[in-house]
Amino acid sequence: MRLASHVKTNRLAMVGMIILWVFILGAVFAQLLMPHDPWRHFVPFMSPSVTHVLGTDDVGRDIFSELILGARVSLTVGFMAGLIAVGIGVLVGLLAGFRRGYLDEILMGLTDVVLVIPALPLVILVSVYLGPGIWYTILVIGLVFWPSTARVIRSQVLSVRQSGYVESARALGAGDGWLMRRHVLPNVLPLILAKFVLTVAAAMLMEASLSFLGLGDPMAKSWGMMLHYAFARGGFIREMWWWYVPPGVCISLCILSLTLISFSIEEGSDPRLRRALDR
Amino acid sequence: MILEVRHLSTHYLVRHNPLARFGHRDHLIRAVDDVSFAVTAGEVFGIIGESGSGKTTLARTMLRLCDSTAGDVLHRGRSVFAMNSSELKQYRHSVQPVFQDADSTLDPRQHVGAILEEPLLIHGIGDAATRRQYIGGMLEQINLSPSFLQRHPSELSGGQRQRVALARSLLLNPEVLIADEPTSGLDPLVTTQVLALMLRLKQDHGLTLILISHDLETVAYASDRIAVMYRGRIVELSGGEDFAQRASHPYTRFLLGVERRVPEIPVLEGVHEHIHGAEDGCAYANSCPHHLHVCHSISPELRETSQGHLIACHAIAPE
Amino acid sequence: MADVSNAAPVQRHEHPTAAIGSRAVRYLAALFVIVTLNFLLPRMMPGDPVMNIVGEEAYYGSGEVLDALRADLGLDEALHVQYGRYMTGLVTGDWGYSYLYLQPVRESITLHLRWTLALVLPSVVLAALLAALLGSIAAWKRSSRTDVGLSGAHLLIYSMPHYWLAMLLLFMFSFKLGWFPLGRATSAGASELPYLIDVGWHMFLPLLVVTAFKAAYDFLIVRNSVVSILGEDYVLMAQAKGLSGMAVLFRHALRNALAPLVTVTAIQFGMVLSGALLVEVVFSWPGMGTLIYDAIGARDYPLLQSAFLIIAICVLIANFIADVLYPYLDPRTR
Repeated sequence: MRLASHVKTNRLAMVGMIILWVFILGAVFAQLLMPHDPWRHFVPFMSPSVTHVLGTDDVGRDIFSELILGARVSLTVGFMAGLIAVGIGVLVGLLAGFRRGYLDEILMGLTDVVLVIPALPLVILVSVYLGPGIWYTILVIGLVFWPSTARVIRSQVLSVRQSGYVESARALGAGDGWLMRRHVLPNVLPLILAKFVLTVAAAMLMEASLSFLGLGDPMAKSWGMMLHYAFARGGFIREMWWWYVPPGVCISLCILSLTLISFSIEEGSDPRLRRALDR
Repeated sequence: MILEVRHLSTHYLVRHNPLARFGHRDHLIRAVDDVSFAVTAGEVFGIIGESGSGKTTLARTMLRLCDSTAGDVLHRGRSVFAMNSSELKQYRHSVQPVFQDADSTLDPRQHVGAILEEPLLIHGIGDAATRRQYIGGMLEQINLSPSFLQRHPSELSGGQRQRVALARSLLLNPEVLIADEPTSGLDPLVTTQVLALMLRLKQDHGLTLILISHDLETVAYASDRIAVMYRGRIVELSGGEDFAQRASHPYTRFLLGVERRVPEIPVLEGVHEHIHGAEDGCAYANSCPHHLHVCHSISPELRETSQGHLIACHAIAPE
Repeated sequence: MADVSNAAPVQRHEHPTAAIGSRAVRYLAALFVIVTLNFLLPRMMPGDPVMNIVGEEAYYGSGEVLDALRADLGLDEALHVQYGRYMTGLVTGDWGYSYLYLQPVRESITLHLRWTLALVLPSVVLAALLAALLGSIAAWKRSSRTDVGLSGAHLLIYSMPHYWLAMLLLFMFSFKLGWFPLGRATSAGASELPYLIDVGWHMFLPLLVVTAFKAAYDFLIVRNSVVSILGEDYVLMAQAKGLSGMAVLFRHALRNALAPLVTVTAIQFGMVLSGALLVEVVFSWPGMGTLIYDAIGARDYPLLQSAFLIIAICVLIANFIADVLYPYLDPRTR
């Protein structure tokens, strides 16, 4: 039964990987795949046709090309923000979990405070002041998502530290550095990976939300921005579903595949891991 | 005197939890309470106690894996708790533990080869080739074939895991081995094997062995001297050979099966005090068929009654 | 020293009142951070602080009155003096003036907040119930087609942007099929329906979306919780004694799933609220979402700051309530 579920999880993860790679490759090779220059103006509000597979938007840009280029922006923001968030989170979690004492209290206090502040409203507020800009978005999203990782990593570090084999290694004469490298880190790595994947997904969703509200970068059109324009510039009213359905589908598929991948990193249902990720 | 324990105490403070059914006050768990003894080089020193007697905490405190509250542990005259990190590392080189439950003492992610190499790497012993030699030699001594090097702990039986844990400690060529319940959870045949192995290795390497267990027979069989622990205190210390005949403390006699124990009347309030040693008085007083009035108020000291025989009891060994 | 840190732990059984006390401190600290952030942001961000404080529309509209405005806002004074004024203003209810709505910010917020709460609060409850039901069913019929179907649906909904689903539903059921209104909370008298029914009719789709998302979050929690409980010995015992499946389910499993559900609801209240904001925009529901959307367009900073503040307060309150309730729900402590 366990083996069957493990294989099934892996198969799902494979599907996830394939889907994700399709999008990643699409983003990388966007230039080759786009039938038109996404910035070029054609006739606006055109319905899908042979030349414009998904029609054109309110200023006449080819939607299909925008969609392909959008992959680049959405995925980049997701991954970069994810890197920042997990980078900070791992650092904080490792320090707090390993050093304990005052440092732990201070860091966890900080983490708890940031964790309880609602993310989207904060990001909206800061983004409004900062103005549009893809790097601002990445930074702000990254700075909002680190606490969740920090908590989870710290908890894992604590549990590893208190485990019998770490104590045995200590009894053998190992110092902190040795324990960290040799026992703590290898046991924490899968968790870090899983958290990273989930954070990328969350970051992509947040970017999409920000863009929908009009806070995205018009120079770097993500899928979220496409949805924003579709809604705000009359695509929705005109029932141009070919404009707003594809970007949504793309976002959903990416999130889905990332989530599926995170399941397989769960390592054969390690219950502690699963509980930690549920947070 | 290779290892000496002087008035060692390790206390835990448990804060009061109004949601629990017992324990309405903060109370102190005296896991190890004023314990003193000295171990001579080359001997097998046994410590007997039931679970809750504090024997594991004693072992961990002696290894400085947890803090002491009072007292000291001396290794060749030097205070262990005053050591800095490099001295401590040296100490760890000389004094090694073998814990029960090798399930948790071996890193499930490492294969046996890495597990065995770890102590050598930590102390920078030899180069890759020499280490392989040592490990190979040790495998022979514990009777495991080299094919085990690639396996992970989950692929080994309980007895095999325990042997690997033993080997890991021995690779450092320690002077003292502190074995806490090394054979609990193992079936009798394996227990005998592991014990025989430990004793043989002790002979071969000139080890000092501190053997801690609840299993009276095992300890009595192997030890030169035996200490009996009850609720954090040593109640009797005697030679191993005629241990059973000489045993005088009521608790020891209870363990040997020659004396009964008065069942304790549980008192709801402060029941924890009963489990973890009363503030004053003898810890065994409430269960002792010989108890006197003084036993409830004054804690008996460990006193020598005859050559090499110490006992802490008001009734049996009065002043 | 390495060893001391791994020392005999002083076991701290958290006294629940003390625990709540320390959580309250955390929330107050968070509130303080938010308020301070609100104070500092306009003064630190690029651009003229006057504009950052009153908003773009006000700024460009006021002309020569600018210097007077600057003095009036006290921007020439020392920072801590400004902070004091700001705090007093907050506490006394002066949250600034919105040039977008041409009324004090506090009024706009109260007007819009009630609509958001009207949408979010029922959906939280409904979603919990829905998740409890579906999660239990899925757990009961583990690995069956029902379970796979439900889990798959949960995963799908979980992956979609809330507002996108909202757009799809609005398109399908309002534009195409005409079953539901095209937006807003009421028809403002255009239909003959009594007020509550009218609102309910308008609320149906947005409520559906927000509930679906919250239920998707909760589904997995409930399912996992019930699965682990169903595997426990005492449950098997109860079944052996003849208790029917339903009884077992409700008496034991759900009670135990309740505590994590409440905790998760509290922790995710912020997410639910945030998601609801965007859904409101799609449906033109006159809640905080629409307020924020319009405020962004007009760069009405006072409105945005206060919206952030009030949303944060709601989230903090939700967390606090969950913390207070938890000890009563956790069967282990009863």
